Amino acid sequence: MIDTPRHNSLYLPIECEIISVIDLTSGEKLFRVRRSDGVPLSHLPGQFVQVSLLGWGEAPISVASSPTREGFFELGVRRAGTLTGAMHTLKAGDTFGIRGPFGRPFDLPRLQGQDLLLISGGCGLAPMRSLIQYCEDRPAEFGMITILYGARNPADRLFKDELAAWERSARFACSFAVDSISGGDCFSGSVGLITALIPPLHCIPDRTVAVVVGPPAMYRAVIDELHKKGLSSDRIVVSLERQMRCGVGKCGHCTIEHLYCCQDGPVFWLNEIEHLRGAI
Amino acid sequence: MKTLTAGQLEQLLAVLSTSWELRLTILLPDGTRVIGSPDDGPLALQGGAVSGKPTAAFFPQLGTVFASSEGELREPKAPERPLFVLGFTPRDLACLRFIDRFFADGWRDDIYFRQRDGAVVAGLSGYCGPGGSLIRPAGGNCDLEFFRDGSNWLVIPYSEAGIEIAAKVADFASPEARERFRQASVQLPDENETLLLRASELLRANRVPDYFWSEIGDRCIACTGCNLACPTCTCFGVQDWRSTRQVERSRMWDSCQLDGFMREAGGHNPLGSEGERSRRRIHHKLAADPEKWGEISCFLCGRCDAVCPTGIGIVAVMKELVARYE
Repeated sequence: MIDTPRHNSLYLPIECEIISVIDLTSGEKLFRVRRSDGVPLSHLPGQFVQVSLLGWGEAPISVASSPTREGFFELGVRRAGTLTGAMHTLKAGDTFGIRGPFGRPFDLPRLQGQDLLLISGGCGLAPMRSLIQYCEDRPAEFGMITILYGARNPADRLFKDELAAWERSARFACSFAVDSISGGDCFSGSVGLITALIPPLHCIPDRTVAVVVGPPAMYRAVIDELHKKGLSSDRIVVSLERQMRCGVGKCGHCTIEHLYCCQDGPVFWLNEIEHLRGAI
Repeated sequence: MKTLTAGQLEQLLAVLSTSWELRLTILLPDGTRVIGSPDDGPLALQGGAVSGKPTAAFFPQLGTVFASSEGELREPKAPERPLFVLGFTPRDLACLRFIDRFFADGWRDDIYFRQRDGAVVAGLSGYCGPGGSLIRPAGGNCDLEFFRDGSNWLVIPYSEAGIEIAAKVADFASPEARERFRQASVQLPDENETLLLRASELLRANRVPDYFWSEIGDRCIACTGCNLACPTCTCFGVQDWRSTRQVERSRMWDSCQLDGFMREAGGHNPLGSEGERSRRRIHHKLAADPEKWGEISCFLCGRCDAVCPTGIGIVAVMKELVARYE
């Protein structure tokens, strides 16, 4: 007979209030949020929350802001299904639920003192932004920081104002690429794949860590380029997207062989998962 | 060790029903034996493993997470009385032990333990298998065990709760009955258990090529019967049901054999082919779980082989796999 004390359900969402909603692109919004009870989210860069909309269910969404920015947290949400579609109708003052934060964050102790090569594609910039902001706010903790970002076209780039600010900042070296450009677009970066931004970089492999967050199709090509630059797999970090239904390692939807992406990840060192089928 | 006639066992169950909510092996009107409420059918302890997932007693096919109306979230109440479940075979008990570990590890799954906490689990063994065949005793993994000995039942307690229940039984087992139990407890070599280990080793050594899984996948009709019957399959989906008065969030068994099981909103699907999904079903039990939990999570209950309409249950697949690649 098993007998243990009772406690509140880990599946009950906590109410959050929307402070502001900003359009990032035609299909993506940024929600600035705080817990209604005033308790800080207490997340670390790279973690996610299960967003809960009554009547629509739950979906895992990365936290897009750094814990160093206090009093709120931000979620970048692409309209991709029914729940995110419903979320896009919300406005400042509305409430919704969250559970979390969940998952393994970026390994900040191992990143500290290293040069960082932060590579993101598409809406992978949202979780990466939590790390970029952290680096912005704790500049003494890291070496040289390079930001690479690729998107389909200039209009689809997330956080355009911040991209421009990071480009102007002496703290960051930035290179941006888009797959295609059309007449009327104002874009000063490269046209082509993000992988083309890697070969010209100067990096010292034994003091550089690369962090890669992007759509699944991006990983292999980017990792190949990083290996060519001399970065070994124990110096490459990836954050993987999976369809987490519970966030707590029970529902089984995010397994990568014996690992549960929601608990063992979503952030992994590449050498932990590169040999696992279906990981990247 | 105590002994009961069939009539005395029914009397004992009636006594237990005042303290526990009973879930017993019963016979439904359609002829199937399941673990269910005694109100739904007569007791049917003989016949071996019940059909369907026995662990559904604690992890039901559909379970409420919470209901919400007028801004208030309400969790389902814990059962007024804890469950007393009689009907797990020794192999089922091994499955239950495994999923107890699974749901307790890390974030403790309070929805599972809402049913499981305080429950008493009684195993079934002895000469109550199909056609009166012998089911070897579990020797543990439960609070107490009922061992069919001729027309009687021996009661063997293991936990404090089991000892308390056995104390309600008046008669002690005879030395002859004890000896029959001892002899039945001697474990003999099991061909399928050996096969399971050999298949697991092949999978863990990555010696099974992708085209094997494509062939198995071609035979899968994605009926999901294997997952729905398996006592150690614990995957679930979460969905909200809206009515005019409330929203109810529930979780329901899911199947890794369905195309949408892992498909992401962006379209990426790590299990995008039938071959990948068939591999996942077997590999997870025989290779991934040993890596994570230190043990194979198939305990050879035989249900997936019994329900699969195309003959690709786990025993059938591992026989083929060992024959081809060992």
